[in-house]
Amino acid sequence: MDAHLWISGVVYGLSMGSIFFLLAAGLSLCFGLMRIISLDQLLYYSLGAYVAYQVNVSTGLTWPAMLCGALAAGALSWVVERWVFDRIYAREITFTMITSFGILVAGVGAIKYVWGLVPRPMGIPVEAQVALLGVNVPVYRIIVIGIAGAVYGAIQWLLNRTIVGTAIRAAVEDVDQVEGLGVDVYRLFTGTFVGAGVLSGLAGALHGPLVMVDPQMGLEVVPFVFMVVIIGGLGSLKGTLVSAFLVGQVVSLGSLVYAPLAQMAPFAAMLLILLWKPTGLYGSALLRR
Amino acid sequence: MSRRLRWWAGILIPFGVLAVARWVLPLPFLVEVLIFSVYTMACNFLLGRVGFISFGQPAYLAAGAYGTAFYLYYFGRDPLLGILAGLASGLLFSAVVGLVFVRLRSDYFALVNLALAVIVYHLMQKVLAPITKGDNGLWFLDRMTSTPVLDLTRPDGFVWFAWLVAVAVWALYKALDDTVFGACCLATKTNEDKVKFLGYHDFKIRWTAFVLANTTAALAGSLYGVYFGFVSPEMASAARAADPVVVTILGGTGTLYGPLVGALAYVGMKDLVSGVVGNWEFFVGLLLVVIMLAGERGIWGTLEPWLRRRWAWRRPAPALQE
Repeated sequence: MDAHLWISGVVYGLSMGSIFFLLAAGLSLCFGLMRIISLDQLLYYSLGAYVAYQVNVSTGLTWPAMLCGALAAGALSWVVERWVFDRIYAREITFTMITSFGILVAGVGAIKYVWGLVPRPMGIPVEAQVALLGVNVPVYRIIVIGIAGAVYGAIQWLLNRTIVGTAIRAAVEDVDQVEGLGVDVYRLFTGTFVGAGVLSGLAGALHGPLVMVDPQMGLEVVPFVFMVVIIGGLGSLKGTLVSAFLVGQVVSLGSLVYAPLAQMAPFAAMLLILLWKPTGLYGSALLRR
Repeated sequence: MSRRLRWWAGILIPFGVLAVARWVLPLPFLVEVLIFSVYTMACNFLLGRVGFISFGQPAYLAAGAYGTAFYLYYFGRDPLLGILAGLASGLLFSAVVGLVFVRLRSDYFALVNLALAVIVYHLMQKVLAPITKGDNGLWFLDRMTSTPVLDLTRPDGFVWFAWLVAVAVWALYKALDDTVFGACCLATKTNEDKVKFLGYHDFKIRWTAFVLANTTAALAGSLYGVYFGFVSPEMASAARAADPVVVTILGGTGTLYGPLVGALAYVGMKDLVSGVVGNWEFFVGLLLVVIMLAGERGIWGTLEPWLRRRWAWRRPAPALQE
């Protein structure tokens, strides 16, 4: 196999890993802070893609359309947080998982109702290609990778350099203590949840031009996102980044080796990693049952 | 004698009502309810007794369905042997998968199962396409030979077979509640450390429960296979992954009749709502959220205490819900 194919395969895998990272980062943060598994993030992902598509079609704008998608996803996540999650934070993890799955299924049904079942193509903001080591690579994919990197940096900065981030990190360790210090933890929860929703919406909007926008897109990406979260370890941002790019590469390079294998190779990788480390690469042992 | 009679009455009365309904309700509806209730019973056992929540039940359903389909398409013609083949393949599949999965924490367990369903879907759709015929599926309706007494190839005979299977599954799970193993399952759900402390092998209990439940799901899969005479990768579709969990919670998690009531309500709702608006997923999701927020007791879990008060049954309700 020639090197050109491999280089474009790596770039493809990196851009896919970036999308996975944006989606999984929110999930991972929500788990770390609130101890919830928020499957409805996949709904915000679909909504972000659909709103971006709709704005793109009606106005012709591309980047602002994506921003609209992310903001719409954030708005929906705020509503859901107020109405549903606010009441169930204290419940056990499986409870939040089932409830959020209900939200996801209902939301996908609503999306089908509004936009129909047909996949919609979405305009790509940058059509240019750039030569990288003698291989033509779409600039858009490189921008996506850059955005994911920037988001990772921003979250790390927020967590480690600001007072809000310090409160979040402390609350991950012990919520009661932080509440005792006079911090309104429910505001932290809301902020984190909406932040996760915006990231998921952004992931959907960025992913839209790379794939078709269709109602099942949220459900199709579920296994990959959870693979990322599980391999990285629930609640660890660094683990999420590492495993997102790992899964992206396995999917992309796996499809070069043997096409039907692409969907299954990450699963095999996950099994091996879980056999070796049952809480994922960077998962903390404290969270073990 | 009378105790045993009362024990069986608990199962035979609701199923007797269902059998009588054979002359009232449309046949496909009844078959769907029966098979779905068996499918849900497996999920109910996992969720209500062992505390495992699995979003990957379609994987085990498909394991059973494809076991049956392979046998009936490539080897034999007898549908009864086909169902046995489906059971065997489900048993083998869940026994191997269980060795890895049972070790996982419950939240990981749910997600890994979901991933498994997707893998099975792709395996059947693309990787094994030469054998499974990909999206076209395997058709074997005209290959099956008719069986004596109950003709499985005709819907009229099949509905009674499905009824018998459902009664047998119910009797099995009801009997299990009275055994040491059943108590151990419940104990692992409530307090794992104490189970270990009492000297029971934690892993063995979970693994046995996992295999038992998923073999039941596979049985439902092979029933579907024989009933439709057709199996396609659509069975393992992740879009259907929530169904058994939804129905379990809808009916009432951990209750004996929950799966039956849930399946009846769910299939009925599917038929009614999809006839009116066409898009019933929205309502299923909404219903799930509403039930969870309303206290997760489900239909039967709400009805049961009321019925007990009403007729003052002798035995008090078993305290299965925390």
